[in-house]
Amino acid sequence: MIISKLNLNKALQILNESAQVFVPAFEVIEDRAAKKSIREKKFLPYREDLEVELEGPNTVKPPKDILFPNVEKLYQYKAAGEDSYIRETLPEETPKILFGIRPCDMRSIKSMDKVFFTKNYVDSYYARRREYVTIVAIGCTETDRTCFCDSMGIDPNTAPGADVMMNRIEGEEAYLLHAQTEKGEALLKNLESLEGPSENVKAIRTDCTLKIRKIPDLDRKLAEMFEHPIWDKVTKGCIGCGTCTFVCPTCYCFDIDNENYGTEGCKYRCWDSCMFSDYTRMAGGANPRPTKKERLRNRYMHKLSYFNERYGETLCVGCGRCIANCPSHLDISEFIEKSSAVDPKAEVYTESIRAAQGKEA
Amino acid sequence: MVIGHTCTCDQNPLLPALCRVIDVKQETPDVQTYTIQTLDGKKPFSPLPGQLAMVSLLGVGEAMFSITAQGEDYIQSSIKRTGMLTDAFHEMQPGQEIGIRGPYGNHFPIEDLKGKDILFIGGGIGIAPVRSLIRYCLEHRADYGHLDILYGARSRKDICFKEDCLENWPKEPDTSVYITTDVPSDDWDGHVGFVPSYIEEVGFRPEGKKVVLCGPPIMIKLGAASLLKLGFAKEDVITTLELRMKCGIGKCGRCNIGSKFVCLDGPVFTLAELDELPDEK
Ligand SMILES: Cc1cc2nc3c(=O)[nH]c(=O)nc-3n(C[C@H](O)[C@H](O)[C@H](O)COP(=O)(O)OP(=O)(O)OC[C@H]3O[C@@H](n4cnc5c(N)ncnc54)[C@H](O)[C@@H]3O)c2cc1C
Ligand code: SF4
Ligand code: SF4
Ligand code: FES
Repeated sequence: MIISKLNLNKALQILNESAQVFVPAFEVIEDRAAKKSIREKKFLPYREDLEVELEGPNTVKPPKDILFPNVEKLYQYKAAGEDSYIRETLPEETPKILFGIRPCDMRSIKSMDKVFFTKNYVDSYYARRREYVTIVAIGCTETDRTCFCDSMGIDPNTAPGADVMMNRIEGEEAYLLHAQTEKGEALLKNLESLEGPSENVKAIRTDCTLKIRKIPDLDRKLAEMFEHPIWDKVTKGCIGCGTCTFVCPTCYCFDIDNENYGTEGCKYRCWDSCMFSDYTRMAGGANPRPTKKERLRNRYMHKLSYFNERYGETLCVGCGRCIANCPSHLDISEFIEKSSAVDPKAEVYTESIRAAQGKEA
Repeated sequence: MVIGHTCTCDQNPLLPALCRVIDVKQETPDVQTYTIQTLDGKKPFSPLPGQLAMVSLLGVGEAMFSITAQGEDYIQSSIKRTGMLTDAFHEMQPGQEIGIRGPYGNHFPIEDLKGKDILFIGGGIGIAPVRSLIRYCLEHRADYGHLDILYGARSRKDICFKEDCLENWPKEPDTSVYITTDVPSDDWDGHVGFVPSYIEEVGFRPEGKKVVLCGPPIMIKLGAASLLKLGFAKEDVITTLELRMKCGIGKCGRCNIGSKFVCLDGPVFTLAELDELPDEK
């Protein structure tokens, strides 16, 4: 199906009648302290007056909060003797459409699906939200300076798993849409009235910006590099702020806590970050990941090695968000590049000898 | 590493069931055992030995505990006071409502242990998970060989499950019980010394024997060294790990060691399996 750019607003309006549509659009945020306003691109609930931008750079934050909110209620309770109760609070059954998500972000949702749907337990909250979401993905027409999806095995022009795939048509102000699932077919049926002529159209193909070497078996190589001195070097400058995990489309770690109002209250979960020191701290103060080195190593290893071992795919989709937003300019793509030059066995050996000699001296 | 839980697609795995503490027993000055039942007097669930329960004091917090025993219509956990949450647990009286979810984690390899002699070694509150397996073996006595139980506590008053350790277990057929305390006291005429050296002193023989070793990290480390010295293989020494946990279902990311999640793939591991994991225990 072909839809002209001129009809895009119309299409979003039609879709918004039967579902809540989220689109990438600009929001103006007033920064009072700096006395200026910032324009941030993010997924927002569709409104007619919204400044939608499907193309251009990707959103600053990924759309993951629509499936996995920053804070989510798990249940309500009352602790009052005989009157005590525990009441499940599952998300509402509201159909939602994620319109215009990028291939990297689609891949990240597929990874989240693996986490929340497999390995013995299905997460009821995620499952409910996922069931009610239809995804329209769009092929990139422009990539940012920090994009390296291609090096992580993701094609910026296709989005397997999305319900509808949408690509810009070459030389025309129009999009080519095709359904990839039943949900997608149903969605496109709604838009039939807007269908444009489709003769000899060709979708635009885009190339990813940042090229880093594809390292064969990077996951296994890193597993051998656990004790390697490279970790001391890459951690330099990290202030443990956790920004990298909050902007990452595939970071899914969460905390569970409660909020009380007298005898009643609710249990909720919220995003957490393995970059925080109290993440693994136990009662009595023991901490298996006591310094930033162990924490950053865990984050990178989780993305590039542990997840592969457990779920058969890498957990970094090369969206570049952690690179673009780290206040200390840490760069996971640079780390991947650097590790390609490492001989895991040899350097550990020389470093440990050096360390031993250092101690003797 | 067997995963003892099957799919719960139709159940919400993060939702606790409202249960009631029907009995509170003071084991030691800082350990209490809670007997827990559903509100309608049933057993909350049927765990396998070594499995865990997430126990929630509504309005205060929740934490993971070993299920130390179970009966027809109850499960039991023993909780040591170590901080804010466990202090609050110790305020509980019989009749207290609590939330329970589980059972979580793998379990002791009850099948592989069949036909073998078993040496159980516990230190401090670490006897809690071991007790679930000892009870299981005693209930299925014919399936298992000779049972040795070695338990170390700080002093006599710190011995958990005194009835089991000092009276019941020593009377069981084909069972030897060795109790030691770190420090001597007037009310204790038994062995005095740390667990690892007691292991060597008794000089257990590795032939046909599996070991279950649970306790504080330092005891596991030194105890394992003693066992290896006596000729035990790492494959035959089974232990449990404790890491901070939140979800218990392998999703929240909290308890990973490398690609493994202790709440799901553990807490039971052999020393050989631990050797395969990165050093973040
Ligand atoms: C697999 C497993 C089995 C366990 N079995 C037992 C048992 O049978 N008996 C027993 O007494 N204790 C057991 N524990 C330890 C028990 O969970 C902690 O002692 C308890 O959480 C600490 O509680 P606190 O809130 O009083 O400490 P605080 O210092 O108040 O802790 C603050 C917060 O940190 C979290 N936390 C701190 N340490 C731990 C920890 N080690 N594990 C999980 N969460 C932690 C708690 O959730 C709490 O909300 C087990 C832990 C694990 C992981
Ligand atoms: S964003 Fe950068 S500084 Fe902050 S925790 Fe991540 S790597 Fe460290
Ligand atoms: S680790 Fe960085 S580049 Fe990789 S998916 Fe997460 S935010 Fe994107
Ligand atoms: S406690 Fe959440 S993953 Fe283990």
